[in-house]
Amino acid sequence: MQISFGRLSRRNDVKNMKRTVLFSFHEKHGHIGKYAGYEMPLWYKGVISEHMAVRDRVGVFDTSHMGRLLIKGSQAANLLNYISTNNYSQLDVMKAQHAFLCNSRGGVIDDFLAFKLGENEFFLVVNAMNREKDIEWIKENMGSFNVTLLDLTEKVPMIAVQGPLSSNALRKIFGDEIVKLKHMWSSWFSFDGVRTLISRTGYTGEDGFELYLLEEEKVFDLWDAIMKAGSEFNIEPCGLAARDTLRLEAGFCLYGNELDEETTPIEAGLKFGVRFDDREFIGKEALLRQVRKGVRKIRVGLRMIERGIPRKGMSILKSGKEIGYVTSGTMSPLLKIGIAMGYVSPKYSRVGERVEISVRGRLAEAEIVKFPFYDKRQYGRKRETNLKA
Amino acid sequence: MSGENISERSIMADEYEVRMDLLYTEEHEWVKVEDGNARVGVTDYAQKSLHEIVYVELPKEGMEVKQMKPMGTVESIKAVSEVYSPISGRVIKINGRLRESPELVNESPYDEGWIALIEPSNLNEELKRLLTPKQYANLLRKIIEKK
Repeated sequence: MQISFGRLSRRNDVKNMKRTVLFSFHEKHGHIGKYAGYEMPLWYKGVISEHMAVRDRVGVFDTSHMGRLLIKGSQAANLLNYISTNNYSQLDVMKAQHAFLCNSRGGVIDDFLAFKLGENEFFLVVNAMNREKDIEWIKENMGSFNVTLLDLTEKVPMIAVQGPLSSNALRKIFGDEIVKLKHMWSSWFSFDGVRTLISRTGYTGEDGFELYLLEEEKVFDLWDAIMKAGSEFNIEPCGLAARDTLRLEAGFCLYGNELDEETTPIEAGLKFGVRFDDREFIGKEALLRQVRKGVRKIRVGLRMIERGIPRKGMSILKSGKEIGYVTSGTMSPLLKIGIAMGYVSPKYSRVGERVEISVRGRLAEAEIVKFPFYDKRQYGRKRETNLKA
Repeated sequence: MSGENISERSIMADEYEVRMDLLYTEEHEWVKVEDGNARVGVTDYAQKSLHEIVYVELPKEGMEVKQMKPMGTVESIKAVSEVYSPISGRVIKINGRLRESPELVNESPYDEGWIALIEPSNLNEELKRLLTPKQYANLLRKIIEKK
């Protein structure tokens, strides 16, 4: 038996590994693995129960491994408009917007969420594995702009509280104002006298919040307060494994799987993060060409019809011919079947198309499906079911 | 040796059970010889390392398997592990219950969670290459120490 954990590997080489402030909690209560240079909790009680806690109730994640950058200066918006695929000039203060850093070929250097904290101040949340690369790329391209770039990653712990009852839990700490916060908006709150930025955002498909605490030592108190406030809703601490299965079920991309420097946001079906307007930005020409002339590969969702769990790297076939590859796959804890994302030739990307996935030499039938994988009327932040605690 | 609870049926290597009536591979499979056939599965250590098992890819009945070559997989949400056949031969029976209840491998790795029954082709020779319970328990202790 040989266990391969893919990107969420078990730790063996702990040299040079980074830890978040909350590491002692994770080590005591969870199973630790390596991710993006960090020793992080993969799970505590178990992936399935953590996953379902977020779909049904509320879960809390330490996401302090994510990169957090601050860009400020009179030309901060201009810089973002040039190095990213979105326009940050018209964005409302305290609102967040997704975008990509692309190379000149349109390939994704990173995807990120940026909050406009003030007219000349933007707070970026970037992927853990790309933080250093992003900083280098921004510095290379900020030459003529009047801006400063600060890396706040190690000074500002980040916690995600996700699930349909997340606002019920957090209102007990931060008051009713938090319930009024709209999706993709942020606001300043105070936790025990410490300024805390809270946004109604997340990576699970569910309603939820992300909290950025401006004093690292206080993060244990905040974590405890969230656990205590959530206890009546059976809140669970959740690890990176559940974070991955939740985002996959929701149809969200993970950098390194669905996104890389050889893949464009157009191919990934993420046009909402790309705005073509008068401004010039890096990669614009390549991306426009794809919009006009079409793409060679396109991201799709796949649901197994036959038994088997699709995994990253497996081939997708049609009538014996290879037409694409799997970028992420798992057993869906909610649907209890194998689900995946992958890239296929656009010819075969129609919803309902039957394809085969090569599962270690066996061809297993699968079907192209829409995102998210779950029924939007029952799960996710737009669910119709009125869940009251 | 400390941390070793000896009963008639099994020994413990830390939190992992090692049955006395089985032979083992270094890749954490077990084999039990029954009336000349070999019943195989994965060990307590294997199932605990994988945690929640959600899928078992079983070999096909009639399939020829070779010692230490893959014969199936055991999968958790995040991990895939290949199951190597401890013995060469022909698969004469598989544990079909694992299709609907893969968690049996977690709950009962040495009994209800068995994977296949093999009609061996070179049993006596191949048994010599397997680990005794004591040897396997020592292997586990070494693995635990490294962690």
